[in-house]
Amino acid sequence: MAILAIPKVLQGPEELSVDGPKVIKTFDIFGFQINFTETVVLEWIVIGVILLAAFLLTRNLKVRNVSKRQAIAEMAVEAITNLVRDTMGKRWLWFTPYIASVFCFSIFGSLISLFGVRAVTSDFSVLLSWAAVTFILITATKIRYGGIGGYLKGFVDPIPVMLPINILSEVSTPAAMALRHFGNIAGGSIIMGLIYYGLANLSHMIHLQVPVLTVGLPAVLSLYFDLFSDFMQAFIFIMLTMVFISNAGPADDEAPQTN
Amino acid sequence: MKLGFLSIDPGTILFTLANTLILFLGLKHFLFKPVNKILEERQTAVDQTLRDAEDARDRAETAETEYREKLDKAKEESAELMRNATRKAQKRSDEIIAKAKADAAGIMQQNAEELEREKRRAEHELRGEVSGLAVMVAEKVVGREINPEDHARLIDEFIDSVGDVQ
Repeated sequence: MAILAIPKVLQGPEELSVDGPKVIKTFDIFGFQINFTETVVLEWIVIGVILLAAFLLTRNLKVRNVSKRQAIAEMAVEAITNLVRDTMGKRWLWFTPYIASVFCFSIFGSLISLFGVRAVTSDFSVLLSWAAVTFILITATKIRYGGIGGYLKGFVDPIPVMLPINILSEVSTPAAMALRHFGNIAGGSIIMGLIYYGLANLSHMIHLQVPVLTVGLPAVLSLYFDLFSDFMQAFIFIMLTMVFISNAGPADDEAPQTN
Repeated sequence: MKLGFLSIDPGTILFTLANTLILFLGLKHFLFKPVNKILEERQTAVDQTLRDAEDARDRAETAETEYREKLDKAKEESAELMRNATRKAQKRSDEIIAKAKADAAGIMQQNAEELEREKRRAEHELRGEVSGLAVMVAEKVVGREINPEDHARLIDEFIDSVGDVQ
């Protein structure tokens, strides 16, 4: 007989479900069903945090006697700028803020799951959006440097029979990127959910009112599935974006002078 | 209502694209623009400092060469001055010594002449006195007056025979 009623929040997960984000509201625009999901709200929070951090880091910038905040901001900007320059070449330097955006968005969007909400990046639509941007830029770069004809000719290269395979390979590039990122984060969250659920059930099996077994092991595993995996996937995603886009054009020194 | 685990939701895609664009513009405006501006300013300042330092070094080198030349010239001049002064002093001392020698020689000669003159005069006086004395003695002996003018030859012979004064 339980003398003390254990609050529900302390009893551990009662059920485990694998599903997508909640739909908060559905708009009907010109007959299209536009869903407003919890992912979008979390995105706003993430954007707000990132922009607030950027705003706070760049207060009172000085040429000399830099503050710690300024040093962090400068290091971040220089690191990402050097990464883009080394990977993509100088003519893609304008692209740096986008890479930084996706990197920060991905990391913070994944890490927000530490606060007990769904990770932004465990929504496949989010990754698909970023992969779509990459795909559009790859295509645009190919057309820009090869012309429309050169781009279309690339699909029947080296022989016309290759057409379906080439189309598949073209489409699979962004699809693989999106699925890799999504799979890692969503899969990690499922594994962590399973572990929590299993340890809670184990605790109840040995008649523990509070699932104390969930303390400890998940924290260690979370280091990999949440922290390491989040950073790795964000980094892999931007690296692939940069490599695919810059490979779509000629090497840096052959590029015609633009701008 | 929840979407499926692997759902593709056009609404989420649209919102995500819009959000990514906002984040892109926000980061560009709030992070990259100010930081890059500062980095550029610092680069400019560093370049300026380097240029200034190079200028200063060039100026210092020029000044050093100039000063070294001046110093060399000054050393040469001072050496020249020293040589001149030494030569002049040598000449002057030689002159002084020569003059002193000449003066000394003149004085010696003068003294010798004076001495000679003195001697002659003394001799002359002595001769007069002796001749007077001789006349006096002769008068006493002869007993008569002897005219010195008349007997000058005699007296002189006497004196000479008496002996040289010297």
